[in-house]
Amino acid sequence: MWQVAWNGTREFTLGKESWGAAASAALECQSFAEDVEEELVAEDERSCYNCRYRRWNPASFTCLAAP
Amino acid sequence: MKVLISIDDTDNLESRGTGEIASLIAEALEANGWAKTGIVTRHQLLVHPDIPYTSHNSAMCFPADLQEGALEPVIAFTCGFLDHECAAGSDPGLCVAPLERLGDGAELIDFGQKAKRQVLTTRNAYELGGRLGLHLSEHGGTGQGIIGALAGAGLRLSGNDGRMKGALDFSGRNLLRLEELLDHPHIDAVRPFDGGELSPDALVEIGEKPKTVLRHGLSVLFVSPLSRDGSEANWQTTHRKQLRGY
Repeated sequence: MWQVAWNGTREFTLGKESWGAAASAALECQSFAEDVEEELVAEDERSCYNCRYRRWNPASFTCLAAP
Repeated sequence: MKVLISIDDTDNLESRGTGEIASLIAEALEANGWAKTGIVTRHQLLVHPDIPYTSHNSAMCFPADLQEGALEPVIAFTCGFLDHECAAGSDPGLCVAPLERLGDGAELIDFGQKAKRQVLTTRNAYELGGRLGLHLSEHGGTGQGIIGALAGAGLRLSGNDGRMKGALDFSGRNLLRLEELLDHPHIDAVRPFDGGELSPDALVEIGEKPKTVLRHGLSVLFVSPLSRDGSEANWQTTHRKQLRGY
């Protein structure tokens, strides 16, 4: 689900449409913090797709939370 | 004088969002008696490795109808607000675009649409802003937020881009008829997400945090067919994930 880059940042490998996996990952995450309302995209409130520590990139997102 | 006020890249991971900053500016303009303001829209710009952004690269824009002589005080106030409020590490930019200077608006709209597809530069933004006589200002960092701010104004002007900031409040009701939805002050139209028209007796189930999008200059609530046993409704508000492309 995650690919770790040389600098330790983690990229979600399942892209932008894996709603269930993004929700499951957020449930297990200690760092999840819901983003501001206008940036929420997932129906599950707790989803990596709704987290303020996700940084979107063209294919997916990188997690900016401390590991 | 009618203007569009657009800001970009004011936040960092810990600060309040650019949308809240836009709302606070709009409230202050009203409180000072300078303007009547409209709803804030959020516009998605290109996500690309060459573009600095905090996490989503979106711009926020709202229309304002200024009192006579209020343009300069509004610009001065907004600049000061951004200088004070913007977060460390951000690259805030401001655009104030008087509609009377935009002609048919085609150039500004084109800039906004390009900013969704390609990497633009501050030089591109200053060239267009200067030619049209718009206010563009940098408020810290690299100042590259002026690109998104100008693009946000163009996309708002297009009338066909962006989601309205904020979720609609129906006072706890979760089943509403079409005419009741249209009575809401922030809904101009209710349309099926996949096209077509709603019948006047349509009954809509309200989902989590419903919101409208900007289509053809209107604040449009999209709905999708609902066929669940036990539900009176034949429509439901379209899921947030389906609105992602707006």
